[in-house]
Amino acid sequence: MSTSGTTGAIAPGVVESVTRHQHPGGDHSQPGLPGGVRRTSSRVRRERITMASLVLPSIILVVLINAYPVFYAAIQSVHDGTLTTTGDFVGFDNFSTILASPAFWASARFTLVFTIVGVFGSWAVGLALALGLRAGVPGRSVFRVLLLLPWVVPIVVSATSWNWLVATPSSPVPQLAEALGFGQVLFLANPLLAQITVCIFKVWVSFPFMLLMTSAALESVDDNVYQAARMDGANRWQTFTQITLPMIARSTYISWILMAIFCVNDFPTIFLLTGGGPVDATTSLVVYAYKLVFTNFQTGFGVAVAFLMTVSLVIVSTILYRQIRKAGIE
Amino acid sequence: MSTATTPRHAAPSTLEVRPDRRGTTRWWGLALYTVITAVVLIPLVAVVVLALRPRQGSGLSGYTLETIGYVLTQTQSIIWLENSLLVSLASTVVAVVVAAPAGYVLSRGRSKAVSGYSLLLFIVQGFPVVVFVIPLFILFARLNLVDTPAGLIIIYVAASMSVACWMMAAYFDSIPVTLEEAAWIDGCSLFGGFVRVVLRNSLPGVLSTAIFTFLVAWNDYLVAVVFLRSTINYTLPVGLQTFFQQNATDWGPVMATALLMMLPPIIVFAALNRFFSVGGIGGSLAGR
Repeated sequence: MSTSGTTGAIAPGVVESVTRHQHPGGDHSQPGLPGGVRRTSSRVRRERITMASLVLPSIILVVLINAYPVFYAAIQSVHDGTLTTTGDFVGFDNFSTILASPAFWASARFTLVFTIVGVFGSWAVGLALALGLRAGVPGRSVFRVLLLLPWVVPIVVSATSWNWLVATPSSPVPQLAEALGFGQVLFLANPLLAQITVCIFKVWVSFPFMLLMTSAALESVDDNVYQAARMDGANRWQTFTQITLPMIARSTYISWILMAIFCVNDFPTIFLLTGGGPVDATTSLVVYAYKLVFTNFQTGFGVAVAFLMTVSLVIVSTILYRQIRKAGIE
Repeated sequence: MSTATTPRHAAPSTLEVRPDRRGTTRWWGLALYTVITAVVLIPLVAVVVLALRPRQGSGLSGYTLETIGYVLTQTQSIIWLENSLLVSLASTVVAVVVAAPAGYVLSRGRSKAVSGYSLLLFIVQGFPVVVFVIPLFILFARLNLVDTPAGLIIIYVAASMSVACWMMAAYFDSIPVTLEEAAWIDGCSLFGGFVRVVLRNSLPGVLSTAIFTFLVAWNDYLVAVVFLRSTINYTLPVGLQTFFQQNATDWGPVMATALLMMLPPIIVFAALNRFFSVGGIGGSLAGR
């Protein structure tokens, strides 16, 4: 279950371990259990029980809080229910109604735009800043900490502050725009501008994550490689595209996938800044599902939307996950 | 250097010029990063500055702590702060207690069931919270867990479980098995080896898992806004949002509450910054 922005604060390194745990028979040699020291069958059984009871609490939690709701949601999505009643069985009517509604496709489109801008915008900014810091800016450890703050600060706080900065005509940024001769700019009242503002806000929140990821990846690139490239007469751009990017490819894929998941599932970044408005211009699928359930009380529709989203997300991330493992093996 | 007349040994002379040019570039870099950082931090600086401004009608001017004092004594922010601290700290403790043993099994176990569980954790991690919130709301309503701190804690622990297990497993991977084997030979049980050898050497891993869970719980808005019904039970994110909607014209108290909410993560981050790299990124990404 991925919650708000900070979910991934320290997640990056973790993914590495996941990709390894998937194939324990691989290059990573697994240690033997104490059974290997003195192998008697009762002892082995006792150790199995110990291992099982060590992992059991987490399994109970994951099954009860994560798996059960998905099961329940699957049932709800084929019923005409409200928040408190299950309602009548309606087959796939919810899905067909949803798939025929323009509002669904509009929010699917915005989710796609939001995700693409969120992933590649934050990646480009994060990578550029990481490269600069690596090149040796004085006091870079200070900058590294300060530049992480947008990711560390709660999204409710930054959304409140961004509201103060842009929301009304008397806010500082619209005032500045007016002083510069752009006339009255209503950042959150004009649909297109609101979409752009939300995307910029997302990049502002997320680039530190990419800065962390790319900094860690860049540190693993050997300096000698660059020197060799320079000796061979490669210019900066060639060095970047033909050495740096391929060498950090694996962690780049991982960070893209994680960020894509964060963006698609993101609720507070959008909801707290615009509430999905104006005229639903910034309603992503998650916000759409939330509104269907908690504003319109159409539980069946809302769950159907969330379900479609989950299924496509699982499919996409499984495909990408395979890609990573391939990239890792090569 | 493309002309044929340039002797090949001219190359070192360009290298000699470099230190000087690099020096200038360094200062340009410093200037550039100072400007970028300043622009990036405007929204956060705004919170601090506005929180230090006097309230409307307080008759004060300049910068003052009066607004923060007002928020802490005259509004419900202090209750929300307590709720947030209670929920976040409890979630952190429970998550570590549950995730550490599970991470040990993920790290050392090598059966099909273990890798299957690892995959389940990966899939579950990608599900949007909205999918969970509705069925859980109905379930928790039956169990009388709606509008209680306990309900939130259960959800936050579960929400951070995948990543917490992986983080613990990733850290345990870095601890050599030979240590446990030595303990086993000395007659230590499997569980004893885990607690006395592995866990005792895993403070950085435990701390980064704890930081992660704390931040998930502290920063969450969606779960809290759905599950908390009465103002007295609000956590800070929901409280701040209500406060903001009610006092949209007077930004001082709103930003003072925002400041209260922003400080713990920043303090945790500043104090334990080192562990962000040790347990999370540096240890696992770099060097592999």
